[in-house]
Amino acid sequence: MKNIRLFFLFIPLTCITHLKCERDDICIESVIESPDLILLFLDTKDVSVRKSPLNFSIRAIGNDVPVLRRGSNDSLLLPLKIQEKNVQFEFIINKGSEEENIDTIQINYQRFDTFINAACGFRSNFILENEPAIILNPGDNWINGFKILKDTISNEETAHLGILH
Amino acid sequence: MKKLHIWVFYISIFFGTMPLSGQNEVNSVAKDSLEIIKTPLSFRLGIDLYRITLSQISDDFSGYEAVGDVRIGKDLFVAMEIGSLETKKQVEQVNFTSSGNYLKLGFDYNMFENMEGMNNHITLGLRLASSKHKHYLNSYTILDRTRFWPSSDLPINNGYATGERLNLSAFWFEVVVSFKVQILKNVYTGVSLRLNRLLNDKLPENFDNIYIPGFNKKTEDNVFGGGFNYTLTYNIPFLTKKNN
Repeated sequence: MKNIRLFFLFIPLTCITHLKCERDDICIESVIESPDLILLFLDTKDVSVRKSPLNFSIRAIGNDVPVLRRGSNDSLLLPLKIQEKNVQFEFIINKGSEEENIDTIQINYQRFDTFINAACGFRSNFILENEPAIILNPGDNWINGFKILKDTISNEETAHLGILH
Repeated sequence: MKKLHIWVFYISIFFGTMPLSGQNEVNSVAKDSLEIIKTPLSFRLGIDLYRITLSQISDDFSGYEAVGDVRIGKDLFVAMEIGSLETKKQVEQVNFTSSGNYLKLGFDYNMFENMEGMNNHITLGLRLASSKHKHYLNSYTILDRTRFWPSSDLPINNGYATGERLNLSAFWFEVVVSFKVQILKNVYTGVSLRLNRLLNDKLPENFDNIYIPGFNKKTEDNVFGGGFNYTLTYNIPFLTKKNN
């Protein structure tokens, strides 16, 4: 009997140590993360035609890390700030030549977060404002305007914003 | 409140019919036996020591669980657990506080053959359980594998998806293995291990019942959970039936 009683005192210890060692949830790679904004360069004369800018370069304001260019020359993925409702970039055309032209663009949006699962947590989604983008340095701009292609940014499957030039 | 009343109704049905069935069983055995058979119809009440201890030592947990069972046959018990708790959890990128009450009701069957004078139990049992609970989402960090902006890994502490998720519930059953040892006259310590299976739960909006009071952690890939308690109980022998 004594032994049984002693044994009973050890069971809780075993249980507690066991509970502390429960496995972690792992967020698998195939789960879609917070999306970037997909920009498309379009021809001002015919907005259904894609038009790549010549010798194009982009710089994020407030971050010296170069913006990675993925995909073709007529499109661009822009990372949005989750802590703020706008983000600024310098769009540079004809870089290095005498006709170099820098337009500073601000993109305006709202954010909403959706739950994925316990392992992955939340994903950010964005909605472009009615005025999705503004040029911060008016005069002598190479960009003529903007066109919302899809105002809700919840995946990276289609383009969201068109830049007319 | 309505749910509580329903449970009270169930319990009173169980308790109300118990003395009858207990008596019949004893009589039928006694008929063809000259031995003196003593089957105490007893009521055992107690508390879970693990949750009380955890409330003392942990800042992230406060709660209790009361346990009770009534012997309705030689080896058969009606058993229940009632608990209330509030706990703060950090699950991966999400920090939330769950609070609520739960009630578990069912049967235990003793499979342990006691020697003369001993009164220990190894029981196998089943419970039906339900919880009423709520979550408060304190903060979370957004999933972004390719972080470009330096502050994008800061947790979101207010607004957006944070805040309260009220009026949630869950319903599940448990398979219980329990060991009870009499350490003093009418005083028992016990350990129970539980395998839980979720039957249904009311999901919070834009969140999940990652933790359910009484059920514990709900995992993504299956509906099973686990739990245990470590109890100290006192036995009140309120009816002793002797048959000659």
